[in-house]
Amino acid sequence: MSTLSIGGSELDASWFLLLSAILFGLGAIGVLVRRNPLVILISIELMLNAANLTLVAFARQLENIEGQLFALMSMTVAAAEAVVGLAILVDIFRVRDAEDIDDLSELRG
Amino acid sequence: MAVAVFFVAAAVAILGGVGVVSFHQPIRSVLSLVLVMLALSVIFLLLSAQFVFAVQIIVYAGAVMVLFLFVIALLGPARELGRGRLRYQGWTSAVFVLVLLGLMWTMLQGVQYRQPDKTDLNFFGTVQSIAVGLFTTYLYPFELTSILLLVAAIGAIYLSRKRIDES
Repeated sequence: MSTLSIGGSELDASWFLLLSAILFGLGAIGVLVRRNPLVILISIELMLNAANLTLVAFARQLENIEGQLFALMSMTVAAAEAVVGLAILVDIFRVRDAEDIDDLSELRG
Repeated sequence: MAVAVFFVAAAVAILGGVGVVSFHQPIRSVLSLVLVMLALSVIFLLLSAQFVFAVQIIVYAGAVMVLFLFVIALLGPARELGRGRLRYQGWTSAVFVLVLLGLMWTMLQGVQYRQPDKTDLNFFGTVQSIAVGLFTTYLYPFELTSILLLVAAIGAIYLSRKRIDES
């Protein structure tokens, strides 16, 4: 195990990874259980944030800036994903009510 | 001190994550996610990532979440009513996520941490150090991001255009 000295006190690096894993699991539960497409998008954002935490934690542990750069890139991707996903949702809601994502099962061809 | 800050922020983040999953109104889920993002930004500061902290608050908790709030306000408060048509959905996904967490836990046990590169931690994570990386080694990925954002903007405009020919 590797300890990080932060502000004069020691903190184990795996605590950050554990928090990230818990948040990722919560996001996965949200995607699998919830049926409102908006909440599913929100849960995906939660999972992306958990992944960012891992990147920044490893950047600090290795004292290498590349992890933070990658976290910034993934924030860009998350913003683009949110924009396109919400636009698709608004487009679907314009035609019909999509309060339950299981109702949108006739997407073919 | 830093340990206490970490555990408080982690507890707030996990509470917010539980709120994202369990609130029935989407607007409460979004506000819980804002809470998670603010807690995570505190943790980014602990990990000496000042610039990522600022971007997290401005872009994520600011812009992206306001976008979500706008869409929810536009579509109206949709509540999940009744049960889904998939049986055992909750149990199956709980088992899936538990297996996922178990896999991550076993992987965390065997992590071999590399020795740090011993860079100057006073310089680490500042705007200068980020900029040196972004504009030298990672210039091409950085420029490709602009294309990604352009494509996303064009896609959003195309999806939300006014349809004249139909109806």
